[in-house]
Amino acid sequence: MSWKLVLALALIARPAQLGAQDPPPAPPNGTTRLPGRVPAAALPAIDSLIAAAAAESLPTEPLVQKALEGSAKNIPADRLVNGVRRGLLQLRQARAILSHAVPGQTPPEGHVAAVAAALARGLSGPIVERLITVAPDEPPGPALHAAADLVAHRFDPDSAADLLVEAHNKGLRGVRLLDVAVAADHELQRPGGRTPSEALAHVRAMLPNVPTPARRP
Amino acid sequence: MSPIDQRLQAALDGEGDPGELPMDLRESYALLSAAAQMLKAMPPVSVASRVMTEIRQNPAPVQSAGPAHRLMHWLGGGRAVTVRLRPVWTLALAAGLATVLLVPWSNSLPTPGVAQGIANFVGHFPGARSVEVVGSFNDWSRGALALNDDDHDGIWHANAVLPAGPHEYMFVVDGERWVSDPLADHYVDDGFGAGQQNSLLIVRPASAQP
Repeated sequence: MSWKLVLALALIARPAQLGAQDPPPAPPNGTTRLPGRVPAAALPAIDSLIAAAAAESLPTEPLVQKALEGSAKNIPADRLVNGVRRGLLQLRQARAILSHAVPGQTPPEGHVAAVAAALARGLSGPIVERLITVAPDEPPGPALHAAADLVAHRFDPDSAADLLVEAHNKGLRGVRLLDVAVAADHELQRPGGRTPSEALAHVRAMLPNVPTPARRP
Repeated sequence: MSPIDQRLQAALDGEGDPGELPMDLRESYALLSAAAQMLKAMPPVSVASRVMTEIRQNPAPVQSAGPAHRLMHWLGGGRAVTVRLRPVWTLALAAGLATVLLVPWSNSLPTPGVAQGIANFVGHFPGARSVEVVGSFNDWSRGALALNDDDHDGIWHANAVLPAGPHEYMFVVDGERWVSDPLADHYVDDGFGAGQQNSLLIVRPASAQP
């Protein structure tokens, strides 16, 4: 084999190796990941909560994650079970909101989990439902997180939802909706001071051209 | 070539008296003698010597070339290079290239896929002996993603390729202290009733990252 051929083969092989990314392994069934990590005292109750979610066709992964999180943090068994139970209640509430917002459709598990996460962040049911209704076929996560960010920064929830609905109507989708919340927060923190309503009005005026925040170095 | 008259040849060679030549040969003798004198008077000039003379009279400007300039000149100049390798050296070269090109670098970050993005974790923990990040992206497993502080300035950092979307996480300092990321963009109550907040990271797909 000539050295030129060796070099050519090596150069061809390298990009193929770089491009080949193994997809993350699919998480095994939740209950099989819990023994050995979740305290034995909490395991039966958590197993039953996860089984209930599965029986109701609710996503179980958020409950598994909550159980693993609490165990890693050495949360006492009773609080650990309560944390998982709270998660199950939020999943049920999330599906009820989705079913009300989009009647006649079985909501995807990912949408249920995203709504439950928004409820955990403190968004109210009506605000969530309003944002879902605007784009019922799109993943609701980004819009809901954007709304939760705005509410967390003390913007009025209804005004925040108004802004995000307008941003959606002007073509912003997915993670670009998060940029709307970032822009509003920047306007609020601008030296000289803007009121929340002024900040929202300023961002509304720049739609759909809100800046994309720079990545953290 | 026409033969030359023997008497004229003898006179040109100095072996005969030109005065004894007949009149027609005297004229030829005079012309040939003049030509010979001219050739004797002219320096022997070839084409090469004329070119070299011209170059000496009009030298090209010479710059004082340093080592770097000479190296650049050498690198920039065209030259034929012939590499001849024995089969054993070819195999050794192949093994070296394979090692360099095919073995992944331990410090390099994999290229994110379509539905993945790069997460940057940074925390200021002066005096900490270890910092790791534990979250929903690694099943809240300890020891999966350690932060580094190679220059010991108290700023710990790590990068990771994660699936796009939301991820809850916390830092674990010195193996026992759970700390929210003070630089996180979002926070969410962890739901265990003690008011502790998880940091929330929303990873953008690499194609959407600026």
